Amino acid sequence: MQTIKAAMWRMLIVLGLLFSPLVVASDDPLKSPMWDYLRNVFLGDAPYQFDDRVVVSVPPFAEDPTQVPVTVDTTALSEKIEKIVVWADLNPIQHIYTYYPLKQVAPNISLRIKVQQATPIRAAVLTQQGTWLVGGSYLDAAGGGCTTPSVANASPYWESHLGEISAKKILREDLGRYKFKVIHPMDTGLVDAIPEFYLQQLELRDETGQALLRMELSQPVSENPVFSFDLASELTSNELYHLWLRDNNGNEFEKAL
Amino acid sequence: MYIMRFVFFTLLISTSYSALAAKLEYQLIPEKIAEDTWLLQGELQDFTRENGGNIVNTAFIVTEEGVVVFDTGPSKRYGEALREAIRSVTDKAVIHVFNSHHHPDHFLGNQAFTEAKIWALPETGKLIAQHGNAFAENMYRLVGDWMRSTEVQLPTQPLDIDQMPLMQVGKHRLRFIAMSGHAGADLAMLDEATGVLFASDIVFFQRALTTPHTPGLDVWQNDLAELETLSFKLIIPGHGPVDKTGKSLQQMQAYLQWLDQTLTHAAEQGLSMNEAMGLPLDSRFEEIALGRSEFIRTVFHLYSRYEEAAF
Repeated sequence: MQTIKAAMWRMLIVLGLLFSPLVVASDDPLKSPMWDYLRNVFLGDAPYQFDDRVVVSVPPFAEDPTQVPVTVDTTALSEKIEKIVVWADLNPIQHIYTYYPLKQVAPNISLRIKVQQATPIRAAVLTQQGTWLVGGSYLDAAGGGCTTPSVANASPYWESHLGEISAKKILREDLGRYKFKVIHPMDTGLVDAIPEFYLQQLELRDETGQALLRMELSQPVSENPVFSFDLASELTSNELYHLWLRDNNGNEFEKAL
Repeated sequence: MYIMRFVFFTLLISTSYSALAAKLEYQLIPEKIAEDTWLLQGELQDFTRENGGNIVNTAFIVTEEGVVVFDTGPSKRYGEALREAIRSVTDKAVIHVFNSHHHPDHFLGNQAFTEAKIWALPETGKLIAQHGNAFAENMYRLVGDWMRSTEVQLPTQPLDIDQMPLMQVGKHRLRFIAMSGHAGADLAMLDEATGVLFASDIVFFQRALTTPHTPGLDVWQNDLAELETLSFKLIIPGHGPVDKTGKSLQQMQAYLQWLDQTLTHAAEQGLSMNEAMGLPLDSRFEEIALGRSEFIRTVFHLYSRYEEAAF
């Protein structure tokens, strides 16, 4: 009788420890207060691990909080990638983009984003085995990027140039890359009396219309965004790819590259 | 005996506390660099809570009529320390103050000089009115309590150079040169009596230049070429040591040219902004302070223009 009682007490203590904040303290290397919450939002209950091969490059300081360059490079992974979700923990709108590599692409993605304050920037890679591999970097910032009116709002330029796309195909020996810029205000909806107006979908398609990659974009992507995507092999002058985008007002934009 | 020990420890504790709460004081010691002309040279650093924003050069000329001040520093406290420094040299009143441009380390000391005429290019006055408060707020964030009670004191006299290219103060004839390469509106001043060129932030020396409001590196290079034509004996750069040989102008030209070529090449190669920020610096500029951090900032400010040109 005595031993059963003692065993029960021991179990109670162990259970108590298990659920105490000390034991379940976050494993997040960036020690973000939002990690557990956002992990649940973006990864759900799926298994995950932090992985240094998921490289998120940001500058040491957000000199311009409306145009912070973020590069996500997962080319060191040998696992097959389903999708990559990128977010900023402490932005009022956390999700930045989700990227789906479909064929012939090397997952090295650069674009610029808006940040509202210093924040971890995360990239979570879902492998075909169903595990999330998570990388991240801490970005220091003074803040204000998401609640600053877009430059477009003070100038009518965008009205006559909306969706215009400039493209550059980089024919380098070691690298096949597309870089392009789209004229779009990318309004977040967080500025007084300026409704949200931003690009939501992007596809890079081949000559048959099949997508090489697909992206879902959110409001933190910078105004007049500049994207760069790498391909698995060098480019020649023969590819007839084109870019397709759609914004949240249903406007579609297309450009042969 | 016990009382002695008690007194000793009390003293020890109280002195250590007062050391912790050390007063924030700029150690401004004027250095005479030419006849009647004194310099207060700032650190070759970025803004920190240790230096209180004293990273800038300010200077003054003691004339028979009164004192002329060129730039007033990053805070009210600095402005007051500058006044004290002037008083250690002369009893004459400060009659003219010049703000070379609208960056916070060059005009936020204005509060200490309200009885003088505070001159600035008209465009600089506009830019201070427009951005001054945001700059001041950012300075509070960067250097903290050093900024206490600092507020924007606007320049009071628009300096229209077409109307007034020269000003005679005592025996000092001051020639004004309006430029724009660094901040969009930059005032340089040549004292024809002494040959001292107050170059403002058109010239950085041994300290990497900053580019947040440059209209373009080519504009800046043209400004430098114009300064080269002046007959000066000595240059006071906006940041960095006094230059008696003109080496600072050569360093600036070489660095700007390298920046322009590097960013042009990077954009043509299709580099992303982060890749460009990581590019190696030229070994010629190794001795220049803050090379890497200012290069990263410059990529932030200018790279999208170079990308645009390369599309």
